[in-house]
Amino acid sequence: MYDIAGEHAVAIGAAIALLAFLWLVVRVLPVLANRRVGWAAALLDTYRATSAITKLAAVLMLVSGVIHLVLIPSHEGITGVLFVIDGLGFIVLGVAALFTSWWRRPAVLWLVATIAAYVVWVVAGWETPDQIGIAFKLIELVALGLILRLAQPGRRTWPRRIWRAVAFPLMASVTTLGIWVGDLAHPDALHAHAGAILQPVAAVATPEQREAAARLLGDTRASIARYKDPAAAIAAGFKPGPVSSADPLRHFENSANANAVLDPNHPQALVYAQTKHGLQLIGAMYQMKRAGQWGPDPGGPLTQWHQHEGICFSPFGFEFSFETPFWTCPVGSTSITTPPMLHVWIVDNGKAGPFAADLDKTVQKQLQGS
Amino acid sequence: MSITSPTLTANTMPSTTSAPEIASVLVVTQASLSLVAGLSAIPFGIVEPGFRVLSLITILVAIAMFWLARNLRRQRRWARRWVIALEALSLVASLLLTVLPIGAMRGPVPVLVNLVMPAAVLWLLWSRSGRAAFKAARRSDAGGAA
Repeated sequence: MYDIAGEHAVAIGAAIALLAFLWLVVRVLPVLANRRVGWAAALLDTYRATSAITKLAAVLMLVSGVIHLVLIPSHEGITGVLFVIDGLGFIVLGVAALFTSWWRRPAVLWLVATIAAYVVWVVAGWETPDQIGIAFKLIELVALGLILRLAQPGRRTWPRRIWRAVAFPLMASVTTLGIWVGDLAHPDALHAHAGAILQPVAAVATPEQREAAARLLGDTRASIARYKDPAAAIAAGFKPGPVSSADPLRHFENSANANAVLDPNHPQALVYAQTKHGLQLIGAMYQMKRAGQWGPDPGGPLTQWHQHEGICFSPFGFEFSFETPFWTCPVGSTSITTPPMLHVWIVDNGKAGPFAADLDKTVQKQLQGS
Repeated sequence: MSITSPTLTANTMPSTTSAPEIASVLVVTQASLSLVAGLSAIPFGIVEPGFRVLSLITILVAIAMFWLARNLRRQRRWARRWVIALEALSLVASLLLTVLPIGAMRGPVPVLVNLVMPAAVLWLLWSRSGRAAFKAARRSDAGGAA
């Protein structure tokens, strides 16, 4: 679901370089101070007098500032201008945290404004959330939490106490939901649906690809016809997958076919639909061995593989939900990414076609009712 | 303004209390993320009975983490023990998932949330300053009682 945008990858290197530089500065300062370099001694005194919580907040703001500046070339127009302002602001506040006492309130406002702006940009569709953006929102959230802890409690009235307790969790929750809503509202072209990423392919199939796709469909249909009776499939080594209350389709997998690649005689799984008269064979599923390893697509855009990611899998009942943008799942479930798969539906799958990632909902309802 | 200005005192905090404070902020962040994970699983619970239970457990764990973070900040030794146990469990589970070929850790976000944050909390609570903060709290409690 959330990959690393190519043009954002430089941010990771910049963050590591900044942390290495700051570590070097902290190591060099005592050496210079011992040699009686005045400014180094004063800086070292200030550094040692500053609390660890302030130092950490300062470092996190410096990291965020540098990342904003590094990412300016990949952001055009008003977003690029805001990145300049934001980056410089964070660097000023990060330095000010060590030397001044006025920095806290501006830092809180700056962090809240930055996080809120990111959420607005994502919800509006002006920015696609990727792992770099989300990771740095997490860093900014932690910096915000640290600075809020530094604030001296004022009058201890109940509304103030409650606000102090809920403000930060509320900000973290709203940020998570905002990124999520934005991502679901503006899926890119390679999302079959939430939780399924499609293989990048050409826009139009060539006549040869159409022919190859038709051949794959015909070969698959002919090959799996022998498994119309689920008992035959079981006898051939296919194991019925668990029954899921959320999914009326049953996958029968055959681990002996794991090494086959798009071989109609050795599909990795058979797909049955639960009808009123028992299980009905409706297709086959080909699957690669590793996540990210797209299979051969003889039909080009007609035989587009898909990979499930961004989903939480619970072994209790074989159930699925979506993971949050911060990659968290409910307790007892775990984030999983499946190897790429290609379904071949041997029943009429409506407009979606015989190689769609999902069985058409109308077709599914008709099958369940039949 | 001189860098040795008296205003600097506002930024200072006894170093022994910084570790629990930082750890508590990280635990609150984790609790907030868990809370959203629990709440977001509720709609799935409509058709998936297992997720009804898991979402409820997750919300309860998140509430417990908020409570632990509060008591960590107050330097309660039992809160430190519970947080260490929970974070160690979380870290071990995440490390196991990293080894499994299920793509559970792909990219900086899962690494930060599932590995770096629990490791940081454990380090803060196990560090010399972290242990000193809780020992100092015990001494002051004992002194107050006497």
